[in-house]
Amino acid sequence: MSAHLNTTTHQAPAPAKYRLGDKIAAGLVLLLALIPLVSGDGFSLRFGAEILLIGTAVMSLNLLIGGGGLVSLGHAAVFGAAGYSAAVAAGSWGAQLPVMLVIGIFAGMLIASIIGLVTLRSAGLFFLVLTLVVGQMVWELAFRWRDVTGGADGLRGFPKLALGSLRLDTPLALYLVAAAIALVGWAVTRSFQRAPIGQALAGVRDQPIRMGALGYQVGRIRVTAFLLAGAVAGAAGAIYPFVNQYIGPNSVHWSMSAALIIMAVIGGVGSLYGGYLGALVYLFVQTEVSSYTDRWQLVIGLIFVATVILMPNGIAHWLGQRGVRGGRS
Amino acid sequence: MSYYLVQTLNALSFSVLLMLTGLGLSLVLSLMNFVNLTHGSFFLLGGYVAIHWIGAGAPWWMAFPAAFVIAGAVGLVLDRFPFGRFYPRTHLMQVLLTYGLSVIFADLMRWGFGADTVSLPTPELLRGVVFVAGLPFPIYRLFIIATGGVLALGLWYAIDRTLWGAAIRACVIDRGIVETLGLNTRRIFTVGVVLAAGLGGLGGALGSGMLSAYPGLDEEVLLLALLVVVVGGLGSFGGTVLSALLLGFVTTFSRVWLPEFANFLSLGIMAAVLVMWPSGLVVRKMRQV
Repeated sequence: MSAHLNTTTHQAPAPAKYRLGDKIAAGLVLLLALIPLVSGDGFSLRFGAEILLIGTAVMSLNLLIGGGGLVSLGHAAVFGAAGYSAAVAAGSWGAQLPVMLVIGIFAGMLIASIIGLVTLRSAGLFFLVLTLVVGQMVWELAFRWRDVTGGADGLRGFPKLALGSLRLDTPLALYLVAAAIALVGWAVTRSFQRAPIGQALAGVRDQPIRMGALGYQVGRIRVTAFLLAGAVAGAAGAIYPFVNQYIGPNSVHWSMSAALIIMAVIGGVGSLYGGYLGALVYLFVQTEVSSYTDRWQLVIGLIFVATVILMPNGIAHWLGQRGVRGGRS
Repeated sequence: MSYYLVQTLNALSFSVLLMLTGLGLSLVLSLMNFVNLTHGSFFLLGGYVAIHWIGAGAPWWMAFPAAFVIAGAVGLVLDRFPFGRFYPRTHLMQVLLTYGLSVIFADLMRWGFGADTVSLPTPELLRGVVFVAGLPFPIYRLFIIATGGVLALGLWYAIDRTLWGAAIRACVIDRGIVETLGLNTRRIFTVGVVLAAGLGGLGGALGSGMLSAYPGLDEEVLLLALLVVVVGGLGSFGGTVLSALLLGFVTTFSRVWLPEFANFLSLGIMAAVLVMWPSGLVVRKMRQV
């Protein structure tokens, strides 16, 4: 019956834009592996770990912004809440890597699902403000609940990260853990984006009403995307306090969320590896500038403005990958 | 009972500040669909202008118009560059641009006015208290309520009952048709931005006697103003007033009952309102597709 239909079983070649993106991504992975060999000093390895972790958070946010058109101003709350949860748990149960990851992923998914559920019926500007409000509620908790979160001072002096009896407190070990999280997070996010649900998410971004009419459950797709982004950002957030040996309320504040968004834009909205590029550029400039001048916040503001005026499509787009065409949001 | 009366007056004065600030933000947001996160900076700038104006010994009643004019002038400059080219861009880009600008302004103001909290040297006439049902209540807050009320009425009249206002409202609904009728919408937009910035500055000048002025106030006010506008519904004068009252009262009374988690509670209540009414309290009927 259907024999003649099966004559065309062939491997479809990957579209060109994936191939170029994959080449660049593969180059980046190589670069990641080479960095520890080139520079052995602790500071740059710690800094590299920080870039990888924040870059992972940016990449997960990019799934929401680029993949789903969901511009969340509360993503730092997801990332930071995972960090706080891991730090607090480490204080009482010790800092075992798998336990920390599970706690961080769970906390990230919890906050992200709250944001996703609360904003189910919102779009555009209302969505933006609502994510901002939920994020600020998390900040209020972190700032006021002194007994648990240390209030304005944040948390210090929690145990060092470990795996069984293996101690993971050297810069190199932290860097490798961060690189592993970055790679796994990137692979998971990329699979999600290319799976049917990721395609459906893009459909929801472009034509929500039409997708609903086709029978897709728009709300479920959105919440699932939030859950995945929360899990990825949560895994990165769980390790973040151990790299910095500190976590404070600034990591859940909405100015951090805005910084994550600008990193996504610098890297290129809709490009997953662009998140890492954006984090690299932004954090590097911030560190450089703040060592030169007290007016570094001024410079940070100028970076925001210059990025939006000069590079609205980001580095990845400039490297030749097609960015997301933004209509009026 | 009288204690609650005083708290109600407190809530009312806070609501009036929120209303003035929110009206300015709402004007730009509904008129040009432009998200202006520098609005909090206008508020703080107005506060600093008023404080330094009175501190310099100039006539006090001139401080408020001065704050309006200076903030409006900043708005005019921003409208020329870089706002002008961002009106047709996406909300995301507008948010990033204006957030970056607000960070720049915050740092410039910290540089220019110092990082300490400064408060308004209240003029003689407005110092002191009146007794409301046996409890003291600052005269200055009554002044805020009265001035803000008059201003809001004047603004409502201008938007709702004059040709100018009609042109602005028409721009909100269909810019193309207004352009076809021979009105320069770009100029109307400029007037809108200047008026909004001036209102922000004026709100800050009035508020400086109640909230003082300090680095970081701009962000707090911005968040509250955004909430007021969004919860009220875009482009609705009544909605903005309503949600300013709601937020003012919720904030004031949660400070009375739960001082620790007052902000958490008021944010939560506003979020709940947004969950129930995803497009704000007052919604204009729009076509869906």
